[in-house]
Amino acid sequence: MKVAVTGIGAVGAFGTGRASLEAVLALGAPAKTAAGRPAPDSRRGWSASPPLLAAAQDLSEWVPQPQARRMSAPSRMAVAAARQALHDAGLPRTGPDSEVPAGVVMSTSWGSAHYTERILDQIRREGPEFVSPFYFTECVANAAAAQVALSLGARGPNITVAQREAGVVLALARGAREIAAGRASVVLAGAADEMTPTLHMILARFGALSLSSDGVARPFDRGRDGLLAAEGATVVVLEPLEAARRRGARVLARVETWGCGFDPTAGPVSWGRETRLLGTRAARSLSSADGPLDAIVSGASGSPSGDRAEASFLQGLKAALGLPVLPPVLAPKGATGEYGGFHVGAAVAAAAGAPVAPPAGFSAPDAELGVEPHRGSLPRCPRRVLVSSCASGGAAAWAVLSGETA
Amino acid sequence: MPRRVVVTGIGAVSAAGWGVGPLLEALRSGRPLAGSITRFDASRHRTRIAAEVPPAPAAVAAAIPGWRRLSRSDRYAVAAAREALVRAGRFPRGSGPEMGVFFGTSTAGMPECERFHERLQAGAFAPVALLRSQEANGPGDAVARDVGAAGPVESVSSACSSGALALRAALEAIRDGEAAVALAGGSDALCELTHAGFNALRSVDAAPCRPFEEQRAGLTIGEGAAVLVLESEDEAERRGAPVLAEVLGAGASCDAHHMTAPHPQGAGAARAIRAALFDALRDPGDVTWINAHATATPQNELSEWKAIEDVFGARAAAIPVVATKSLTGHLLGAAGAIEALATVDSLVTGMLHPAPEGGLIDPRAPAALVRGGALRLGDVGGRSWVALSTSLAFGGSNAAVLFGAAARAAGV
Repeated sequence: MKVAVTGIGAVGAFGTGRASLEAVLALGAPAKTAAGRPAPDSRRGWSASPPLLAAAQDLSEWVPQPQARRMSAPSRMAVAAARQALHDAGLPRTGPDSEVPAGVVMSTSWGSAHYTERILDQIRREGPEFVSPFYFTECVANAAAAQVALSLGARGPNITVAQREAGVVLALARGAREIAAGRASVVLAGAADEMTPTLHMILARFGALSLSSDGVARPFDRGRDGLLAAEGATVVVLEPLEAARRRGARVLARVETWGCGFDPTAGPVSWGRETRLLGTRAARSLSSADGPLDAIVSGASGSPSGDRAEASFLQGLKAALGLPVLPPVLAPKGATGEYGGFHVGAAVAAAAGAPVAPPAGFSAPDAELGVEPHRGSLPRCPRRVLVSSCASGGAAAWAVLSGETA
Repeated sequence: MPRRVVVTGIGAVSAAGWGVGPLLEALRSGRPLAGSITRFDASRHRTRIAAEVPPAPAAVAAAIPGWRRLSRSDRYAVAAAREALVRAGRFPRGSGPEMGVFFGTSTAGMPECERFHERLQAGAFAPVALLRSQEANGPGDAVARDVGAAGPVESVSSACSSGALALRAALEAIRDGEAAVALAGGSDALCELTHAGFNALRSVDAAPCRPFEEQRAGLTIGEGAAVLVLESEDEAERRGAPVLAEVLGAGASCDAHHMTAPHPQGAGAARAIRAALFDALRDPGDVTWINAHATATPQNELSEWKAIEDVFGARAAAIPVVATKSLTGHLLGAAGAIEALATVDSLVTGMLHPAPEGGLIDPRAPAALVRGGALRLGDVGGRSWVALSTSLAFGGSNAAVLFGAAARAAGV
């Protein structure tokens, strides 16, 4: 069964909904961080570019207050993004109505970090008997997926995957599998994460964050020094292509193929030496798909070693496919930041023809990588796009999306 | 026809000890493994028992590179995975590009995260190295790194159904030829956050848990890991590997009813069971016994029983039900994996492990609970036993896996 993507929902520092996501992608630069949450804790002496926070976004149109108050921030953002995605797909925002149940596949790195921290505070400062049951139920990793299902009556498979930066691509792949196997009528696939001051400080201490004073990350740039931490949620609607056509839905893209692999030479918080082989593996899964790739939506984020892994993956892909040059490489995390799954939303938008600007602040390619972000414009038409992401720790995931002509 | 998928190795770390041997001894004798909590000061917790893993034997720690840098969940995972590969005749040669790892967890590196936060709150230096493996990809990645797996790696964190969902993903990967061999399992370490959280929900019994009993009062938290080696029947035959059991099918569903309370009619669980039967091309009448989720919370058993009644009808009360958590405690993200392991052992030996003898069975959920002593299965139909294992999680995420006896089962 062929798999279609018919809707995108997103909540980020850039705003809410597909139009806001496409706007920030076209801009190529991060939106100004909305206020409403404390800034990173600089008292401990760890400085970095401020995070791209989404907490101030008004989600009341998508998550009524009585529901929102029973949710953590990642759950709220995930439910809002899911409803936006259904609306974008022309499906009832209250949930798809079908005999075959709808599924949910979400990815997260930390779940509700804020509530986890609150519980740990409660245990230490007040005692374990004061732990809030509400914080506990919402701090489990699958809370967002469960709240999406609960809000939309999605009674099909409900799965939460976790593979750091590769997680959202893996969620897309897992969701596509469920549709292809006929186990769900619709799958809402995506990611949700929040960024707390403590988490931001931890990422800074790991040396993951950009120190740039102008608040940009520069994927693939010679002078890149880290990523921009973001928070938010992205959800895409997957459904059988035939079903989408039958109901007259606008198809943004087809999910042609997908895969994942692992580089066992990686350390727990680093990338390995054999990412190139993962590109070779990805090429094998592409061989059954038709036609050349028009673009690659890379998971490069501005991380010095992470972007090296992304480039190595792409070099492996290029060699295995026998390409003289890589197709145009897009690096949307320069605009959206890392975490929140925007990368997959960007890939679907790109496949559907939306413009993706080069990342702001890019000044000089890194000769060691042999890969740089595409700096021209691409024809505004449906494209065949590879989306990939290499995670610290060793995992990688990829998928091919093919835009549909209206 | 999809490839037939078989289990060729098992490995475990549990409160019984490091390895499958002590676990199976405890299961077969019906010996509960819960004791007083030592991992943290439980004096202010509402309940104070759990099934804790004993310290690792020096030989296990010495054999695993980077042991000191691994989180507790990672250690359990890696030790169980190595044992499973050894038993499958695949260690160390099992490593390779076509090996996949599918792993469930819920706490992952939370115990180390607690230590980090404790130091942070005290204003002391808190080393971020404690958080290297904090996220839910930690145990699965640690296993993949240790065995050199370069195939698909997928970590699932869907609370208590994580382990079963990981098995489902592994089954699919072998069927579809994406991995030649897969390590499927789960790992979870006991942490204070989880214990305090379940206590806040009034879901933990102060005494060892009593599944299906009228006086049950909640779960007992456990910790550990279990790993199964899955490969195609053809591959196992080709290399002359011991076949322990067959993975017949798997299903998943969601209650979409409540964040913590299961659907009162067990509708979601019933859908997952039916999906597993459909996937396995089996009928309810084929199922010989059920390894139930059976957490011993008052609501779980009522809901699960409704699901069993719904699927199996008049036969429900006659089907033997096994409650592994009554012995091992609830391994949360690894529960589906350790219960799969117990099920595989029963398919090999023809013996169902018992729960401890206890009080009256709840008349509202009159399961034919195996307890007091092991139950020997009849050799009906030439060992054509089929076992169902259910996992029902927070947030209503349900999974069911169906196992069948191997034609010529190897010994465990």
